[in-house]
Amino acid sequence: MLEFLQRTLDGWLEGSAYALVGLGLTLTFGTLRRLNLAYGATAMLAAYVGAWLYARQGLPAWGVALVVVGLAALIGLYVERLCFGAIGSGGSTQGHEGRGSATRVGGGFDGTEVVALASSFALWMQLEQLAVNLLPRHLNAFPDLAARTEWGFFGLYLRPDRLAVAALALLITLALTRWLMHTRGGLAWRAAATQRTAAGLVGIRVGQVQATAFLVACALSGVAAFAVLSLEGQITPMLGMWMLTKGLVAAMLGGLGSVRGVLLGGWLLGIVEAHAQAAFGAVGREFATYALLFLVLVASPAGRSGLLGRGGLRHAA
Amino acid sequence: MLQIEGLATAYGKIEALKGVDLSVQGGQVTCLLGPNGAGKTTLMMTVAGILKPKAGSIRFEGEELVGKSSADIVARGLALVPENRLVFPALTVRENLQAGAFRRRDRNAIRDDIDRMFVRFPRLKERVDQMAGTLSGGEQQMLAVARALMSRPRLLLMDEPSVGLAPLVVAEIFQIIRQLHSEGVSIFLVEQNAHMALKVAQQFYLMEQGRVTFSGTPGEMSSDDVIQRAYLGQRRAA
Repeated sequence: MLEFLQRTLDGWLEGSAYALVGLGLTLTFGTLRRLNLAYGATAMLAAYVGAWLYARQGLPAWGVALVVVGLAALIGLYVERLCFGAIGSGGSTQGHEGRGSATRVGGGFDGTEVVALASSFALWMQLEQLAVNLLPRHLNAFPDLAARTEWGFFGLYLRPDRLAVAALALLITLALTRWLMHTRGGLAWRAAATQRTAAGLVGIRVGQVQATAFLVACALSGVAAFAVLSLEGQITPMLGMWMLTKGLVAAMLGGLGSVRGVLLGGWLLGIVEAHAQAAFGAVGREFATYALLFLVLVASPAGRSGLLGRGGLRHAA
Repeated sequence: MLQIEGLATAYGKIEALKGVDLSVQGGQVTCLLGPNGAGKTTLMMTVAGILKPKAGSIRFEGEELVGKSSADIVARGLALVPENRLVFPALTVRENLQAGAFRRRDRNAIRDDIDRMFVRFPRLKERVDQMAGTLSGGEQQMLAVARALMSRPRLLLMDEPSVGLAPLVVAEIFQIIRQLHSEGVSIFLVEQNAHMALKVAQQFYLMEQGRVTFSGTPGEMSSDDVIQRAYLGQRRAA
């Protein structure tokens, strides 16, 4: 029994990291209705530059944190301009699309979605390659903030640093939800997310809102990357792919576009993975991840409703 | 109040507006008729700044609107109730109204205006915390009108507010149009229901294939074959 609880606790902590990673993805999808495949790679390149500064220039951990978050936002700006700003939505085609969405409120799969998806895939490859060229070794050092002690209570063990990451995920989710539901700016984000033409008509600058949301999402990916990496004290080229898959599964479990949902989705994924690993080993863990994703896709093919929670930006049309 | 000259708007290579000239007088209800595909909605979307015209000018109270964003246009006192209502489905009724006042900063006045909307549209008050997507078509239309009014427009553009609604609800919508007109709001209305439009509008335009092909008063309209063309889009064979 105690073992079961310990595993659930570990899974929950790991799941909080997934939620932190998925937050930016769900925010991008919520406001733009576009999937950003370069999401993990953006954070990875920023983290690699952070690691490079740490190893070669001796930048302290807090400096690395600032660089990673700031750079993730900056690289995000580049991705947004190339994949989502000009061709994706908002911007120059806003009017044309606006007319289209009057008849296409349900949100089908149109040409610009494919273009955004494909071009963000191209940037994923480009950014990842840049990172690997910067630090070619497989394993590189990253500021290590891992706790050296474990807290024990009632026979359960808990790493305080992981608890801090879990608290961070919870805090950001709550703050973001609160902002979305109770401020004028949040209202603009939610309005632009669900009915772009009408948002323009009431005077919301839709292109601006979407670009801002994208930058915030990318900065959050930097926060997530730093938090996760500082637990390990190292960085590998697997980071980009790891962030994209775990974040995406967590976001889809909670309903892609739902801010509260991604927290629940991350927790569910982490706990299921932990138990699957205990029962069937590492292969079982991977199997559980994709089995869950499969379940969500069967339950809601559009990936919009997910298995858990509502709220935040979601509720497509 | 609104002068449109030589306005041309295209979707890619398809020209929807091919040089439209018309004007809307302050204090009047002006009605635009025309068959499907004539370009009426395109005209509305262009005036509201959602679509960018290729050529021409739109002057509102003497000020050029072409080149201005939809946000700037709504802030100048021109609001559009769009075709198909386009309420924010995942926002509550109250949030929809708050969004309508997005360009305004006078918090207390906004709150008063929301209360005033609830007096004007009592049905919305009953549904104040309900998601707009769960409202009936008629209620959504009321909400779309109320949302547009929240920007305190001097000119209200309405794109087919009666389409798809039950006759009783249509009558209610036209009652509201009359009421707004009597309160001094100028209205530019796209309407398929010519019989209802005849009762409220003082000036009529007919659009066919991207051009204005008739303009006149209700009296001039009944002596022409305008109503026929408004539905069928072509001249009746003699």
